[in-house]
Amino acid sequence: MNIIYITLGLIAIYLYVSFVSLLWEGLDRKLVARMQRRIGPPILQPFYDFLKLLSKESIIPRDANKLFELAPVLALASSIALLAYTPLGFEPLLATKGDVIVFIYLLTLIAFIRVIGAVSSGSPYAQIGAQREIVMIASREVPMMLGLFAILWRLSKLGVEKPFSLGTFYQYNIWEIGTPATIVGTLILLVVFIFWLASEIEVGYFNIPEAETEVAEGPMAEYSGRHLALFKLSNALKEFASASLVVAIFFPWGLSGYLGISGIGALIIDLLFHTLKVFAVLFVSMSVFRAVTGRLKITQAVGMFWSRIIPMSLIGVILLAIDVLGGVIA
Amino acid sequence: MKIPPTLSVVLSNLLKKPATNPFPHTDPVPTPEGFRGKVVYHVDKCIGCKLCVTVCPAGVFEYVEEIKKVTLWLGRCVFCQQCVDVCPTNALEMSNEFLLATYDKYDDNLRWLKDEEIEELRAKQGGKT
Ligand code: SF4
Ligand code: SF4
Repeated sequence: MNIIYITLGLIAIYLYVSFVSLLWEGLDRKLVARMQRRIGPPILQPFYDFLKLLSKESIIPRDANKLFELAPVLALASSIALLAYTPLGFEPLLATKGDVIVFIYLLTLIAFIRVIGAVSSGSPYAQIGAQREIVMIASREVPMMLGLFAILWRLSKLGVEKPFSLGTFYQYNIWEIGTPATIVGTLILLVVFIFWLASEIEVGYFNIPEAETEVAEGPMAEYSGRHLALFKLSNALKEFASASLVVAIFFPWGLSGYLGISGIGALIIDLLFHTLKVFAVLFVSMSVFRAVTGRLKITQAVGMFWSRIIPMSLIGVILLAIDVLGGVIA
Repeated sequence: MKIPPTLSVVLSNLLKKPATNPFPHTDPVPTPEGFRGKVVYHVDKCIGCKLCVTVCPAGVFEYVEEIKKVTLWLGRCVFCQQCVDVCPTNALEMSNEFLLATYDKYDDNLRWLKDEEIEELRAKQGGKT
C-alpha cells in the first residue's frame, strides 16, 4: 500500500513541478523583459515552446551514436527520480537516513547525462560545451557539498531521527541555533548557495557551457524536436529542485503550523508556500543575476569558485564547527 | 566582489512601463516628414522624358515606346528618391507607405502601369492619332 501511495505521490509531484517550473520559466522571461523595459512573451510561453518542440521533426546527426537519443530520456528520468528526494515544503517522499548523497548524486547525474548526450552528438561545438560543463561541475559541487554536509552535521547534533536526510530541515532549521557564530556562518553559506544555484542552472556569470553567442548552445547544439523538449523539461525540473534545496536549507518555515491546518491541506499549503519561496530565491539567483551580469570566461569562473567561493564556504563551515566544538571543549 | 552598477537600473526598470510600441495592436511609429516610402506614379502627368530611367540606380523603370510612358517594378527600388527629384512634371512622388511585405514578388502593389493598362492606353492613343 505504502509503495502505491509513494508512486501516486511521485506522479502528482512530477505533474505539479513540471507545471510550476515551466510557469517559472515564463515568469522569469517576463521579469527579465520588464527589467529591460520590454513587454516580453506571455507567461505561458514555455508551454507553447514545449508543445512546439514536441511536434517538430527531431534530427539525428549522421555521426551520432545510440546515447544521443537515449540521453534526453535518461536526463528526464533522473530529474523525475530527483523529485522523490527533493524537499518540497514537507519531507521528501523517500526521505531516509543519508539521502542527501542520493540527492547530490542525482543532481550531478543530470548534468553528466547532458554531457554524455553532447559528446555522443559528434559535433565539436557540443563537445566544447561538454568540456566546459564538466569543468563547471568539478568546481561548483565542492562548496555546495561542504556547506550542505556541515549544516546537516550541525543539525544532527540537535538529535534528529534521520541524520543526513533532507527531511531534517523540517525538524530543526539552522537559524534556531541562534548563536552569533552560526548566524554569521549561515549567512556566508547562504551567499555561497546563491552562487551555487546560479551556476547549477547556468545563468548570468555561469552561462558558460550553453553560451549561445559563443559556442552556439554548447551541449544542446545538435538537439532538436522532442529530444530538445525533454532536455528543456528536465532542466526546468532541475532548476526547481536545486532552488528547493536552497529554500529547504535556509527558509524551511511552513505556513500550516501557524494556520493550524493538518493532513492533506497542510501538505498543499506548505507546497504552495514552498513554491512561492522557490520563486523568490530564483528571482534573486536567476532573473536578477541574469539581467545584471554578463558571462565569465571558463577560466574566470573556475578561478572564482576555487579562489573565492570555496574559501567562503570553508569560513562558513568553520564558523558552524567552532560553535559545536567550542561547546565541547569548554 | 562589488555590486554591479546595473542592479539599481534593472530593479527600477521593473516598476516602469515597457518602452515599446506593441505594433499590430497599435499604430506603427509615425513616419517623419520627408519619409521615403513607396513610389507613387501619376501616369497622366508623365511626359515620357526618360529622365527617371537614366537616373534610377536600381533599374526600376522601363520605358514603353508606344505610349511614351514608363512602367515601374518596385521590387527593386532602393528608395533613393532620385527619380522624384529629377522628374520635371512631378509625375513621381514618395508616399508614406512602408508596409510592403507580400507573398508574391510580382504583387500588384509593387507595380505601376500594368500590362492591361498599357494596352488600354495604347488603344486610346491609337484611337486619337
Ligand atoms: S527611388 Fe531610387 S531606386 Fe526607387 S525608383 Fe526612384 S530612382 Fe529608382
Ligand atoms: S522623369 Fe517623370 S516625366 Fe520623365 S519619364 Fe520619368 S516619370 Fe515620366
